[in-house]
Amino acid sequence: MTVIEVCGLAKRFGPATAVDGLSFTVGAGTVTGFLGPNGAGKTTTLRVLLGLVRPDSGQAVIWGKPYRDLGTRRRQVGTVLEASGFHPGRTVADHLRVRCAATGAGRSRIGPVLAETGMDELAGRRAGSLSLGERQRLGLAGALLGDPEVLILDEPANGLDPAGVLWLRGFLRRFGDQGRTVLVSSHLLAEVAQFAGRAIVIDRGRLVSAGPVSELVKAARQAVVVRTPRAEGLRAALISEGAAVRAAGPDRLEVTGLGTEQVATLAAALGIPIFEITTDTGSLEQAFLRLTATEGRPG
Amino acid sequence: MTAALRAEFLKLRTTRLVAGMTGLAVALTTLIGVLEAITAGTGKGMAIPSLATVGGLRDNLASTGFALLIAALLGVVSASGEFRLKTATDTYLDQPDRNRVLAAKAAAGAAAGAVLGVTAATTAVGISLGFAASRGYPLALSDPAMARYAGGAVIGSALLAAAGVGAGSLIRHQTGAIIAVVAWGLVVELVVGATVTAVGRFLPYTAAAMMAGDTDGGGMPQIPRGVAALPYPAAIAVLAAIAAALAAAAALTTIHRDVT
Repeated sequence: MTVIEVCGLAKRFGPATAVDGLSFTVGAGTVTGFLGPNGAGKTTTLRVLLGLVRPDSGQAVIWGKPYRDLGTRRRQVGTVLEASGFHPGRTVADHLRVRCAATGAGRSRIGPVLAETGMDELAGRRAGSLSLGERQRLGLAGALLGDPEVLILDEPANGLDPAGVLWLRGFLRRFGDQGRTVLVSSHLLAEVAQFAGRAIVIDRGRLVSAGPVSELVKAARQAVVVRTPRAEGLRAALISEGAAVRAAGPDRLEVTGLGTEQVATLAAALGIPIFEITTDTGSLEQAFLRLTATEGRPG
Repeated sequence: MTAALRAEFLKLRTTRLVAGMTGLAVALTTLIGVLEAITAGTGKGMAIPSLATVGGLRDNLASTGFALLIAALLGVVSASGEFRLKTATDTYLDQPDRNRVLAAKAAAGAAAGAVLGVTAATTAVGISLGFAASRGYPLALSDPAMARYAGGAVIGSALLAAAGVGAGSLIRHQTGAIIAVVAWGLVVELVVGATVTAVGRFLPYTAAAMMAGDTDGGGMPQIPRGVAALPYPAAIAVLAAIAAALAAAAALTTIHRDVT
């Protein structure tokens, strides 16, 4: 079942094209990374999806309806778009009380969401005194007030320390394991690979790729790194077998086109000792850079 | 609408904005009221007539002029603050009907303005009666007359706060909106009212200040000379119409702009 559907979406801000005919879907119960370099159009797409920005053409719907037409079901869409969208003088608990009043969510949810986001000790603190990581958690607490079936998050890992990133990763995994739907934008690509099952990659407002993260990783360059004291001899043999070989150091070769077994078998047949052999399985980062051709392009 | 109203009231109750603005209004009302009362009847400079006279007591009761302007600023800050602090994103996600949010914000602003007005008017009445009594003057104004001027300050504050919400929604840049409203109250109305006296009494600060007891050429901030006060209900109608017009202008323009 499709939860989110973006169809032919286009949006310009003056002369700048933010989104250019973008289409994709997000299925129920999936955790989807929404990836792209800075300025790719991720935030604009999410804001159009949530009715904050009007598209020039196309549409973006949740459960088949524009966000504003979801009625009380809107409560079941949790969102975090601003890391610092809080009144600095309002306490954490009061911020959540305001959100409850505005959405009709019960105040009884405040305690559980504070506990779930590890903010229960900070309920009486003013938002202005929170760290960026704490504000991210407060945003997430607000998004969870309606016990949502869908979470839409824009760069939630920004400003989080390593412990915070670890916590967020675990939280999103748990949320997804409950069969709920998550769409999370990020430019921390390796991070998204830790919890997302699917990835939508966009660049310059256009769709570049959509599919399982594992396929994206598989599409990345697979290299075998081998360390040997007879690098030149092995290099010549590997090339004659059709592999592409790059010297990664005086005694280290990076081999593509052959697997570890083939490289090791060939070396053994030639009596070439191998001190170390590993597989660089590729990363989402590499796949992403190739897909969006951003290597060497300023971020 | 109920949810949006509840949220907007709660927003005002959970920050220091209303308390801070009310404190400022009371401080300025006290400063002006006391200075006027001390110098009343001396004939020096801009001194008001003696508190023993109808004119003197009325002028002293009308020391709520700055409170009226501060009420308008309260409305401005509550509306434009949503954009300055980027809370508009969550506000419009929680309640996507932006016109409803604007109406709720104007209603909550008016209520907060009324609270500010009650506090300022009570301060002005206390100062006037205190100084008059300390000098052994009989009360030159009847109770209904004094209640009318105090009520004018309360109603004026409420409606100017609602108008401020409209202005703050039209001019999202908070500093710009504050400057615009202060300049309007201190300069524009004085110039326009003095130039076209027939229009003067329909200007928002002038209309509200005259409800609170100011007379032409008087008040602090000053209102234009040669302006005749509108009948009380007409002044209320004018202020309500201005608040509605500003809100409508915002609803037709800035309110529906992209929130990026």
